[in-house]
Amino acid sequence: MSKTITIDPVTRIEGHSKITIQLDDRGEVVDAHFHVTQFRGFERIVQGRPVHEMPAIMARICGICPVSHLVASAKAVDDIMAVEPTPTGADLRRIINLGQIVQSNALSFFHLSSPDLLFGFDADPAIRNIVGVARKNPQLARDGIELRKWGQQIIEWLGGKRIHPTGIVPGGVAFQLTAEVRDRILAGVPEAIAATERAIAWFKQDMIRWEEEASTFGNFRTAFMGLVDRQGHVDHYGGWLRVIDADGNFLADKVDPKDFNDYIGEAVEPWSYLKTTYWKPMGYPDGIYRVGPLARLNVADRCGTPRADEELEKFRWRVGRVAGSSFHYHYARLIDTLHSIEKIEQLLNGPEILSKHTRSVAGINRNEGIGVSEAPRGTLMHHYKVDDNGLVEWANLVIATGHNNAAMNRAVLQVARKHVKGDRLEEPMLNRVEAVIRCYDPCLSCSTHALGQMALKIQLLAPDGKVLGELAR
Amino acid sequence: MTGAGASPGVPPAAARAGTSSGPVMVVGYGNSLRSDDGVGPAVAARLAGDPRMAGVVIRSEHQLTPELAADASGASLLVLVDAGTDEAPGEVSVRRLEPVIDGAGTAWTHHLDPSALVGLARELWGSAPPVVLVSIGPASLEVGEGLSEIVAPAVTRAADLVATVVEAHRRA
Repeated sequence: MSKTITIDPVTRIEGHSKITIQLDDRGEVVDAHFHVTQFRGFERIVQGRPVHEMPAIMARICGICPVSHLVASAKAVDDIMAVEPTPTGADLRRIINLGQIVQSNALSFFHLSSPDLLFGFDADPAIRNIVGVARKNPQLARDGIELRKWGQQIIEWLGGKRIHPTGIVPGGVAFQLTAEVRDRILAGVPEAIAATERAIAWFKQDMIRWEEEASTFGNFRTAFMGLVDRQGHVDHYGGWLRVIDADGNFLADKVDPKDFNDYIGEAVEPWSYLKTTYWKPMGYPDGIYRVGPLARLNVADRCGTPRADEELEKFRWRVGRVAGSSFHYHYARLIDTLHSIEKIEQLLNGPEILSKHTRSVAGINRNEGIGVSEAPRGTLMHHYKVDDNGLVEWANLVIATGHNNAAMNRAVLQVARKHVKGDRLEEPMLNRVEAVIRCYDPCLSCSTHALGQMALKIQLLAPDGKVLGELAR
Repeated sequence: MTGAGASPGVPPAAARAGTSSGPVMVVGYGNSLRSDDGVGPAVAARLAGDPRMAGVVIRSEHQLTPELAADASGASLLVLVDAGTDEAPGEVSVRRLEPVIDGAGTAWTHHLDPSALVGLARELWGSAPPVVLVSIGPASLEVGEGLSEIVAPAVTRAADLVATVVEAHRRA
C-alpha cells in the first residue's frame, strides 16, 4: 500500500510550509513535495496605488529582508521614472542592502543552522538550538549575535529603523550620510570581519565531518544564477545577470536584468502557493537553477574583495569550481558575508559618500519598470506596470525562494530517499529533511508575499487519506 | 526612541562586562499592529521625552531578540514593558525576574522571553542586570492600530511606574 509522509509545518525557516513524502507499496520514497501553505497576494494589494508608494509597501512583505524589497522596488520605480540614482544615492543603497545581507546571513547561519552543525542532526532537539550553542560554543553564539546586530544597526542608522526602514526612495535615498554615522559603522568593521573569519575557520575545521552528508544533501546538477559586475565580481545591487550550468559553462552572460522575462518563466503547481521559476531555454521542469550565496559564488569569477577572494579560493579548492551540494550554502553564506563587510568598508571610504546629492527627481516617464537586486537568499525581481498617472495596474514579483523552489523539492526528495525507511517516522529523518530546506534559507514570507514561525508535524497517510502515524514537535 | 542606535558597532565583550556603572535600559515591546499588544512601545514613546528619564536608554522593540541581550548585559538595570496576559485589561503590575537559560522545549531563533534574554546575556557576556517587568493587561489583541479605551489610560500609569522603579534604582 502506498503511503504519504507529511511534515507540517517545517521549523526554523521563515514562514509556513509542510513537506509530504510519497511512499510506494514497498515503502520506498517515490516523490516528495515542499508545500508553501500561505498566501498574501501583494501583487493584487498594490493595484491602484501610486507607484511612488511601492518601495514602502513592498518592504512590508518581510520583516527579515525588507531592505531587499525596498531596493528592488525602488529600482523598478527608477525605471518607470527613466532616472538614474545619483552615484552617492546608489552607493548608499548598496551599503544598506549589504547591511541587510550581513544580518540575514548571520541569522541563517548562526541562529538557525549552527545548532545542526555543532551538535549534529541526530542530537536531542532540547540541546540542538541556539541556547545549546551558547553553552557549548559561546564565542560562536556571541559572534552570531554581534554580527547580526551590526548589520541591523547599519540599516537603522541609514534607514531610520532596523525593520521596515524608509530611507530608500525612487531616485536614490532620502538622507545624507554624516561623517559621524560613517565612522560609527566603520568602527565595527574589524570585529565584524573577525567574527566572520572565526566562523569560517570553525566551519572549515569541521568540514571533514560533513563530507558524506554533503554528498547526498541536495547534491545534484543544476544551473546557477546571480548578478555580476563588469569585471565578473559578485554584485549584490546591479550589474548583469549571469547563468552557468553545472559544469561552469555560461548559459547566459551580460544579460540586462530588465530582460529577465526573456529567460525566466514561472510555473504554478496545485500543491503550493510558491511559484516555481525555470530557465526558459530548458523549459519546465527541466530548467532548474539555484540562486543565493552558493549561486553567487558559483557564477562570479571572483568576489572582488581581498579577504573574501582568499576564502573563495579555498572554497573552490575544497568543493570544486561549481559547488553542487546544497550543504555548501552554509560555507558560501559565510564568504558572502565576509565579502559584504569588506564591500561596506570600501563604499564608506568612497570620496563622494558624504555628498548631499543622494536623490534624482523625476516624474512618470514610462508605463513599465523592472528592478533587480541580490537579496540574502538570491536574485530578486520586481516588475510593475502603471498608468499615465503613475497608478499601479499590475505587479509581479519573482523571489529568490521561487527561483530555488524546484531545487528545494529535488533536495527534499534526495534526502528522503536516503533517510526514510519504510513507514517509520524517526527524528533524524525529520531533522535532515528540514535541514536540507534550511540550507536554502527560504523566506516564505517573501515568496508568498507571510510572517510566521514553525512547529513541526509529520503524518503518514494511507492512499485513502487515513492517518497511519504522526510525529509532532 | 532615544538611545536607539546610540551604541557603538561591535565593542569587545569585555568592555561591557560589569553592569553596576552601566545605563538603565527601558525596553517597551510588542506589536503595535495588534491593538493593545502595542502598549509596550506606547509606554516607551511616552517616556522618550520625559525629563525623569535623563540618561536612560529607551528602546521600542517589536519583540525581544537575541541581539538585545548584548546591550542588556551592559546595563545596570533592565526594565521591560509589555502586554501581559496574566493581568486584567488595563491593570498594571510590576515584578522582578530571574535570569533563566533553558533550551528545552524551545527552539527560539528570532525572539526570547524576558528571563531567557537576561539568561543569554549572563551566559554569553558574563553579566546580567536586574530585570523588572512592567505588564499591562490587554483588552484586545486583534489586528488593528491604537489602544483600547481601557488600556490607553494605563500608559501614563505604567510610565509613572517605570519612572518610580528607575528613581528607586538610582537611589539604591
